[in-house]
Amino acid sequence: MLSQLQRLSQEIDGRYATDSELQFLTEIAQTYHLRAQTYQKLQAAEAAIVQQLQAKMQALDPTLFRSGSEDVTAKWKRDTLRVLRYSAIAMLLNDPDTLRDRLLFWMQTVMKAFGAQRSCNVTYELMQDIVKQHLTAPQAKLFCPILELNRRSLGIS
Amino acid sequence: MTTATARPNLRNPKKHNHYGFREFFQFDPDKGTIVDWNGSQNILTTEDFIIGLVEGLQDEVGDAAAATMYTIGCEWGQKDAFFFESWFEKEYDRSIRQANLMFLLETWWWPLAAQGWGRWEVDMGDRKQGFMFINLFDSAVARTLGDVGKPVCYLYAGLFSGFFTELVRKQLSCIELQCYSMGETYCKFLLGGRDRIDAATFWQTEGANARDIEKRLRAGELR
Repeated sequence: MLSQLQRLSQEIDGRYATDSELQFLTEIAQTYHLRAQTYQKLQAAEAAIVQQLQAKMQALDPTLFRSGSEDVTAKWKRDTLRVLRYSAIAMLLNDPDTLRDRLLFWMQTVMKAFGAQRSCNVTYELMQDIVKQHLTAPQAKLFCPILELNRRSLGIS
Repeated sequence: MTTATARPNLRNPKKHNHYGFREFFQFDPDKGTIVDWNGSQNILTTEDFIIGLVEGLQDEVGDAAAATMYTIGCEWGQKDAFFFESWFEKEYDRSIRQANLMFLLETWWWPLAAQGWGRWEVDMGDRKQGFMFINLFDSAVARTLGDVGKPVCYLYAGLFSGFFTELVRKQLSCIELQCYSMGETYCKFLLGGRDRIDAATFWQTEGANARDIEKRLRAGELR
């Protein structure tokens, strides 16, 4: 939304915006209540989501938390929390462009440098299943595309 | 273009993902300055500036323009290596010698990418043989000059040579093997010891392309 607002204010240079240019504001107004509810639910469920995810990944493949001989569980947890919080605000403001610009482009190069793409791929794929247990179907429909964006950005070389 | 000045953003100095346009650059309309996250003063330039620099130098020194740009790049790279070492240690609380090498290199390049020097990809597959390749996408110089049928990114080759020489504390040279200005989709640089770069330069003047040169280097040829 912020990126779209910024673009709108730059493009509307001394004229009135057209209906189609204002369409995104109508959509935001219509979904804002749902977005705010989803955001609050994610905030409340953050610890449970990450804990469930960690357990599921550990059961699936413990090497997902290893980088060579190093245990990177704490690093994974820190990164996952950070991405989750950025994702939540991106969903609230309907602004995946800002998520990309401020976090994902940078993080993609870091994950590649550490060879963590396989772990990221699993993380953001399984996270979609887990958030569905905490959110209603319409809420998950808003949030899962953001998690999928994370998976595609961080998980695949 | 940058020069070091006071660090602008002390609000969250340990934040690492700070390369978004509005976050990385601090615009001060009163002073008329643009200072980046690491405290470097930046100057915005147009493509005309780059054309003026390259063509002006060509007019002044003729064929020596390429070597001059390379030397400017080397000095820039060496200075930037020291500057990088200092901000990296402040931001990450560790020496550059203790960091994962690929992470270190990406961290060095991020401010340059944010400043418009293009994205890069480092290929360290041949590191043990004493050379490596760097692919550069959206070179500011090549993009500006367009298809002129020859490599033009001497400034970048110098930058890589200067930076990596300081980083590994061993004299390294660099040559651009293929360039966007030769109609290629991206620029490719070879970084290594003097003997290998001299060999690559020789093969290039004999008409070898990037792929031929890669093949000959991997086969261990030195002319």
